Order: sequence, then structure tokens, then C-alpha cells
Amino acid sequence: MSETAVAELDLPRGTLVRSRVGVTGGLDAALSRDLTGYARIEPDSLLADGEPGVLTFEDGIPVAAYCERGENGSQRGDSRGVDALAALAVPGPCAVELFELPDGSLDRVHDQPSFTVPPGAPAEELADDAALAERARERAPAAAADRGGTSALESFLEDEERIAAIQEEAREESEKRAAEWGLAGELEQ
Amino acid sequence: MVEALAVASGKGGVGKTTSTLALGMALADEYDVTVVDADTGMANLCFHTGLADADTTLQDLLLDDADAAVEDAVYERFGLSLVPCGTSLAAFKAADPTRLREVVAELAADTDVLLLDSAAALGSQSAILPLVLADRTVVVLQPTIPSLSDGLKVQEYARSYGTETAGVLFNRVRDDEAIDRVADQAERYFGGPTLATIPESDAARAARRAGEPLLAHAPDADAAAAYRRAADRLEISDGDEGAVADRFRSAVIPDSP
Repeated sequence: MSETAVAELDLPRGTLVRSRVGVTGGLDAALSRDLTGYARIEPDSLLADGEPGVLTFEDGIPVAAYCERGENGSQRGDSRGVDALAALAVPGPCAVELFELPDGSLDRVHDQPSFTVPPGAPAEELADDAALAERARERAPAAAADRGGTSALESFLEDEERIAAIQEEAREESEKRAAEWGLAGELEQ
Repeated sequence: MVEALAVASGKGGVGKTTSTLALGMALADEYDVTVVDADTGMANLCFHTGLADADTTLQDLLLDDADAAVEDAVYERFGLSLVPCGTSLAAFKAADPTRLREVVAELAADTDVLLLDSAAALGSQSAILPLVLADRTVVVLQPTIPSLSDGLKVQEYARSYGTETAGVLFNRVRDDEAIDRVADQAERYFGGPTLATIPESDAARAARRAGEPLLAHAPDADAAAAYRRAADRLEISDGDEGAVADRFRSAVIPDSP
């Protein structure tokens, strides 16, 4: 996997403690073990533009996010904070590696507001798991509730190109399946 | 008059059945409303309406050798005509989903608004059929990226069969501040307006546990008021029931593979 994400967020190299497929399991494990460290998330998607990203944790609670892809004004480039979550929220499985770091070693990274995300947002937007998001919010320090500014969802909705791609892919899939299910005759001409 | 609306979501857990029944009850102030549990693979309308022990359900009507009449599966409850679906796996496997078209055609002849509570999936012929048969869809969303992605997908599947979006419901909303911006942005991509944003509600969970629709169980809840606003915003088209019934009957749908 590319080291760019880790480098951009200027993270110290951590100790690998878990490597599995699935964001839900990764976030759950980070929360359960009170992980201070980071997750490297690599989408394994048919969408060709899925790029790896990093999510950091303090005592199991998500704090900061970075992705190598995303909207950067009108430019395509990397993305930070909730924009990075939007960029990482691609359909399909992701490989998630958890790395542990000594307490306090992320303080400098976590002081940069442009990278921070609301504590429940990764579970909601990447894992689609409302219960896990609620657990993260409950355990997060009170000050964390204000993190993130506008939501990842708003960032997602601003990306017209990406939404057009979702629609186009769905249309093609629908037409292909219509043929499989014998419904091709019902398709709008 | 009649209009058939598929209530769809693309993913589970967004409160689709709660929304279908709430919208139905709110519309019932003005229209004759029939609600069909067209989510035959994961039927749950019966649990929301105290009809878990109903003798005859949609499942009986979908059997190849069905001897039940459509009216046997219609239950008058909460001011609605309800057609629950049974939850027997054997009956689901034996069902011929294409018979839904006949059932819907018959129900359409005798109601103003037909709400089809549709599957939270797009992976089978039976899950797609309500989108194919309906005049329009109401898409139920949660304000998250996965839900919006799935909602866009459902809309595109429905559109490929000529079924446009009547409106969008944002359900289980927790962040009041952001939702107005999100709803405005989302309207650019959905074919219909945002009908309402429904707050996350303990009353909805309590209603489900009590086996009652939200508007019967907690008519004064904020969420109930929001569903009434949604019904007010939803403009029901004045379809000719004969023509709609004929359209359903003439839908060229093959035997299930």
C-alpha cells in the first residue's frame, strides 16, 4: 500500500496490531482496545478511483482523517477531515490495518482542525453502523462533539462527478439485471 | 383516481415500513389508502400493525395454486386498507412474485393511493417488481453517505423502468442544523422534492414494539407531525383506475427464473 497517506498526515510509524477486511470490524476493534494510533483504510472497490486513507484514534475514538483522493476546490487531489471520509465512503469492502502508537504521540496531528472529524462520523459514513457511531459518541470527550464543521455528507453531495458516476453505474447495472430477470421489455426505451 | 407509489430505500434500517404506514395514515385524511407489504422477502408490515397472526396474507395470493381472493388478504385497520405479507420462508420460496401485478391491479381498482412497501434491496426480481409496477417512488433516506448512495441507486433502477421519484423523506435525523443544507443539496439529484425531515424518534421504536403505526401510537410526536407535513407536500396524481389496472395487467413480466 502507498505510504503517502501516512506521510501526509505526518504520522509516526506505528506497530501493526490488526489487519482485516471490513471497516466495521476495524472501528469496533479500535474502540474495544482503546486504540491510540491509526487505521490505514484501502478501498477494494470496482470504482477505479478508490484511494487509500488514514483515520487516527485517541483512546479508541476517531479524531482525524486523510484520504489521497477527493475534491480540493475545483481540483482533484487529496482531502482532509470530513472531506476525506466522503472520499473514503466508497461501496464495497475495504482492507483495514490498525497501528498502535504510544500515548500522546498524535497530539500534534490532532491539534490541526482541518483534519478532524466528528467521533461518530466514520462509523456512520464508512461502516453504515448507527449503533457503533452512537457508542463512539458516548465515549468521546465532550469537546469532540464540535469537531468536523460541515458534514461528510455535504462534502459527498458537492461531488457532482462522483454522484454522476454512481447514477451511471446503477443505470448500467439495472439494465443488465433487467435482461437477467426477463424484465428487459419493461425498461423505458 | 389511483396512484401507486413504491416506498423504497435501497438499504435496511432507515424506517421504511414506519414511514410507509405514517405517510399512509396521514394521506388517509384525504384519500382512500391501501398499503401493501411488497417486501416479500423480509415482510414486517404485519409486526407494525398487529397483524402477525393474520389468516390470509399476500403470500397466499402469490402462490401458483392460490385459492384465496385478494379481498381475503385486505385488513381494515387504522383507517387504512392493509395487505400484510406472511413471513413463512417456505411460502416465500413457493411464491410467484409476478402474481403481484394481478394483485396490485385488482387493489388499484378500489383505492385512491396504493403504497407498496418495497424491499430494501435490489438483488432479485421480486425486490425490483414494486419499482417496475409503481407510478412513482418515495425514497426514504437517512442522512448518511451510504444511505444517500443507495437511494440514488434505487432512483436510477426505478427510472430505468420509467418510474420517477415523487419525493424524498429524510428519516432518523439527529442533526437539525445540517439537515436543511443536506436536503437542499440532495434535491439537485433526486427527481422529487424533500417531503419532510423526520427527527430520530423514541416514539417510532415504541410504536413498533406496541405493534401500531406511529401515527396511531403517538399522534402528537414530532415525528408524526413531520410525516403529516410530508403527506401535505406529496401531490397525488389523478390516475384513471381502469387504465392503471390495465397497465399492471399488461406488464410483460415473465415467470420468475
